[in-house]
Amino acid sequence: MKLNERSLAFYATCDSPADNAGFLYKRGERHTAYHRRWFVLKGNMLFYFEERESREPVGVIVLEGCTVELCDSAEEFTFAIRFGGAKSRTYVLAAESQAAMESWVKSLSRASFDYMRLVVRELEKQLEEMRWRPAGGCGGQQESLGSWKLKPSGPEQSLERVPALPAILPKENGCAVWNNVPGVDRPPNTSGCSRHDGEGNPRPPPLPPRRRALSSEAGSTGEAVAESPSSFCRLHERYGREVAQLQQDWLERRRGPRP
Amino acid sequence: AVLKKRLVKLVVNFLFYFRTDEAEPIGALLLEHCRITKEEENVFSISFVEEPERKYCFECDSKEQCQEWVEALKRASYEFMRRSLIFYRNEIQKMTGKDPLEQYGISEEARFQLGTRKQ
Repeated sequence: MKLNERSLAFYATCDSPADNAGFLYKRGERHTAYHRRWFVLKGNMLFYFEERESREPVGVIVLEGCTVELCDSAEEFTFAIRFGGAKSRTYVLAAESQAAMESWVKSLSRASFDYMRLVVRELEKQLEEMRWRPAGGCGGQQESLGSWKLKPSGPEQSLERVPALPAILPKENGCAVWNNVPGVDRPPNTSGCSRHDGEGNPRPPPLPPRRRALSSEAGSTGEAVAESPSSFCRLHERYGREVAQLQQDWLERRRGPRP
Repeated sequence: AVLKKRLVKLVVNFLFYFRTDEAEPIGALLLEHCRITKEEENVFSISFVEEPERKYCFECDSKEQCQEWVEALKRASYEFMRRSLIFYRNEIQKMTGKDPLEQYGISEEARFQLGTRKQ
């Protein structure tokens, strides 16, 4: 299968910060000898290089649909990245210390795109819900988190007791909240992609007839912006108020103290 | 350039493409550090930062379909999601004074930090 290898190599070696990096021993596929390689984790991609100074990775592991487990092995500090499926390979890695092993297991467990998307959606939901609550709604945050279910990330549970994010993905555009508020535009379906979210949730309603162009051309560069135009509008409004207030304060200061 | 009909699938930050009658993809494009551009009528292109002149062009059946793909692809990168997360995190922190990631125990995770991180 063809891959845009140059782009992969660029992603691996460009100066965007890595989520983890260090030497690990990697067990060979056919022979059980371990080879020391320089590993770089960026996003959901685990690249490995022959040496730290190598200009191109020798391989990459895409961390989707896998589990990260500690290994019961003669070799110290081993852990495995295991993929489901009959033909799939298990990657056995060994760190150089207990601390390194724990750090890698933690960062690899959270490396998937799906995990990142879950966190983004959760925060997006929180933000939207906060806008519609009356002021002082901090306590309300807790209610919005939905049902809790422990995620089956084995090693994580032994490393720290962490409440898992809700396993049920929130609805694409949180329609239920919006529908009750009079005089508000229905938010278009802008969260994530319009494809099926894999959890069997019904597709969101179709887009309204005319959709404002998103304000950002943010491909891979540029500032992060809120996903939906409506939430951007609210933000814009809020900043506008802040600016107006600042202006007023400044004008008053210029006028000097009132007689 | 000849146009070939392909089945195209966006899965996480990869764009897979297939011959229409085959189960295995011919290839995939990693969608990081790329630029999605709406070209003329119903066409969009993907180009990459390290080779900006090289454009992968796709012609859609309608301008709605084209728009849908452009929007989806612009959001498809992991790095875009990461920036969104950092943005939301900051917004919520500003509004509530609390870091929303704390309750999940992930506020110190390298991947959620703003600004420079050690390589």
